Amino acid sequence: MKKLIALIFVLYIGVEMFFVFYQIPFGMDRVQSKVGKFYLEHSPKDLKVANAVTSIVVNFRGFDTLGEVTVLFIATTALGSILFRSRKVHNRLNSKRTSVEASMIVQVAGRFLVPLIVLLGAYVFIHGHLTPGGGFQGGVIIATGVLFLLLAYRQFSVNHEPITWIESLAGATFAGLGLTGIFVGKTFLENFLGTGKLNDLLSGGIIPLIYIAVGFKVAAELTGILDTILSISVPVEETENQN
Amino acid sequence: MDNILILKIAFIGASITLLFIGLYAVLTKRNLIKIVLGLSIMDNGLNLLFITMGFVKHGTAPIFSPLVMEKLKTVDAAAQVMVDPVVQALVLTAIVIGFGVTAVALALVLRLYRHHNTTNIDEIRNLKW
Amino acid sequence: MVAVNPIYYIALPLFFAFLLPLFGKIHKELIRIVPGLLYAYFLGMSFYMLRHVFVTGQPYIVEIAGWKAPWGINLVFDAFTGLIITFISVLAFLVWLYSYRFKKVEFDNALKYFVLLMLVTAGSMGIVMTGDIFNQFVFLEITGLSSYGLTAYYRGRDGAEAAFKYLLIGSLASTFVLMGILLIYTQLGTLNMADIARNIHLMKPSLKIAAFLLLFMGFGIEAEMFPMNGWAPDAYSQAPGPIGAVFASMTSKAGLYALIRLTFTIFDFSSVSKLLFIMGLLTLLFAEGIALRQEKIKRMLAYSSIGQIGLIMVAFSFNTYLGVFAGIFLMINHALIKSLLFFSASYLAYNSPKKYIKDIQGFGKVMPITSFLFALGAFAIIGFPPFSGFWSKFYFLLAAAQKHYIVLIVLILSVSLVELVYYLRVVHKLYFAKPTGDYEPHSPNWNGMLAMILLALVIIAIGVYPDLVTHYIDKAAVMIMDKAQYIHNSLGI
Repeated sequence: MKKLIALIFVLYIGVEMFFVFYQIPFGMDRVQSKVGKFYLEHSPKDLKVANAVTSIVVNFRGFDTLGEVTVLFIATTALGSILFRSRKVHNRLNSKRTSVEASMIVQVAGRFLVPLIVLLGAYVFIHGHLTPGGGFQGGVIIATGVLFLLLAYRQFSVNHEPITWIESLAGATFAGLGLTGIFVGKTFLENFLGTGKLNDLLSGGIIPLIYIAVGFKVAAELTGILDTILSISVPVEETENQN
Repeated sequence: MDNILILKIAFIGASITLLFIGLYAVLTKRNLIKIVLGLSIMDNGLNLLFITMGFVKHGTAPIFSPLVMEKLKTVDAAAQVMVDPVVQALVLTAIVIGFGVTAVALALVLRLYRHHNTTNIDEIRNLKW
Repeated sequence: MVAVNPIYYIALPLFFAFLLPLFGKIHKELIRIVPGLLYAYFLGMSFYMLRHVFVTGQPYIVEIAGWKAPWGINLVFDAFTGLIITFISVLAFLVWLYSYRFKKVEFDNALKYFVLLMLVTAGSMGIVMTGDIFNQFVFLEITGLSSYGLTAYYRGRDGAEAAFKYLLIGSLASTFVLMGILLIYTQLGTLNMADIARNIHLMKPSLKIAAFLLLFMGFGIEAEMFPMNGWAPDAYSQAPGPIGAVFASMTSKAGLYALIRLTFTIFDFSSVSKLLFIMGLLTLLFAEGIALRQEKIKRMLAYSSIGQIGLIMVAFSFNTYLGVFAGIFLMINHALIKSLLFFSASYLAYNSPKKYIKDIQGFGKVMPITSFLFALGAFAIIGFPPFSGFWSKFYFLLAAAQKHYIVLIVLILSVSLVELVYYLRVVHKLYFAKPTGDYEPHSPNWNGMLAMILLALVIIAIGVYPDLVTHYIDKAAVMIMDKAQYIHNSLGI
């Protein structure tokens, strides 16, 4: 009965929303939105960045991206805070990820593929201003490489010390590059370097630098999240201190 | 019906359907993991809807690559055939935020499971719902 | 303009939050000191900038990445947003002071607490200052995610459950907000709030209503509006004590600010204020009714807080200068007084084993200062004369009288009576009942005590000299009513 009401409710709103969005003009001959047109025009001309999405993400709406990076940072921090257990409990449980060892094929393939995956990720975030992709995508690719290792090798564990350093320094680099803009007499996140030539690797001023920092940060954060979640074992008989 | 209309109905319909499948799951499912999955499906439906709204007839990706510039010569001509980059940038943000929320939600589920030894929402009602 | 810049309110907490784990490696005490220094700096900066805005009448507008408003994101620090930012800075500093040594926790946990605290305040400030609606969504998520983390901060309690509930409703809210933003963007091709406000008449009426309802629902959830505020009491009562104050004074105020911006600036419906009125009144009556029946002190405070939000919404819905004036005054007072109540109540609840109101009887003798401050806060929020709460209620009734809402005045007075009953019940238990056991209570440490006394002094000072704030509120009320001025400030036209 409750499900039926929920179904009717959801169907009703769904149909309403469909007709709301149906009224919006779709498939026009060119970009209709005012800011969209502006960005398409100024991204190659003023910023010399070939990928218009990158120039929006990092420059025009770079403040959103700073917020976005912060959201990931909060997620790792909150994850740590939520799943944190005291060292004593942790050692007693001696957590293991999986009960079975991965097959040899997976292990050997992992040894071979992981460097390539990391290389691809680095390529994607270094070329974020030229080709599809960027810091987030590259970072995620690198983290999948780490996930591969975590799944293939039972004993493999991530060392948290360098992860913390990379995470902190990369995030501070992003915010710091933004703040540098103010100290050189411009505005926050404004480009203060030469822009170079369209479609060169060294073009776009601080945009690729920020995206590389984002790439490092995302890779470190996702690795941290994966390791935190995967190394939690949930034994049934565990009784934690219920202060 | 012309192609554009079919595309329109298909994409808007698909994204709205995804969105409300997710909402239905959130409203009715009793398993915490399934609720989180529902949230994730909702996010994806919404992201698809965003991208759909940026569609341009015969449009290409908004990247001024050497290939595009060679074919169309000027930036202005190239900008004519590109889809809206703003919605794509917004979706990138929305995806990352959705990821963060999902990660925190799963961590909370893990904690709840540790305490109550169940993922059924009906058995975890210490507080009023 | 390097020393003061509104961007610092957001950029610096982010910068230092990223670096805080490294500071912790240098010296363990730094993770507590750095946020405090930052908040002290914000305090000074806020007063300087607010004074400057007040004297010259020129707002601070920051364009990010050097693009003018509709193209880039801008931050607006004018008479209204500046006032809210100033009060958030004051409370952020006091919350930091209060939680400097709140409880003995492990180093890792303290680090996470301060990181999340810095980010939740930065997120609230971002919601208030930003001039871009999608950016507002991003800050909503920053605030939301750090609140989930803080709600589930304590193990053992039901924090995870409260946080999960909060997360579910918060995610629904953000989905609504995103859909509303998408509708506006596809119709007007812009995301800047001033630009949207300027062109809102170009939107199709049916889409405009849909977009408004979606955004109203979304931000209403964050502001603890009536139908979707079931998460709030759980989150308030499960989170650490100072975080209850953060929720009451910052995150809910930020959501409320977004609602006000939505109804006063962005949309041009004439019936919007009626919706605000009805939702506000429902929120008020519903919450005060439930607060009366609460057995736990923090839940009672949470419902009282929701009720106050309803009252503020009603005040803004009058859509007159006096109503807006009263609304802003109520907002500030509620932030100050509720923080004091949460600060003192969290020690009262800490010492009562089951957190029930009946457990705290006789604490007036055992913890004299904390109990006294709680009683002071209770009288202030009901609206007794020597405290600041009196003036805001007084202006509210004045505004209602100006609109000839006689029934409403009677209703508000009777709601105040309800408030009186449930707060007096606690005060009565504190002072006029015999202590149950004779155990040694955990008294607040010096920094917690200092924070509470400072807050009490501010409340009394505003109560005795309301002129301290009314000049600023006056400018702020004029500012929020003047849509054209906001558009001019943001876009330069």
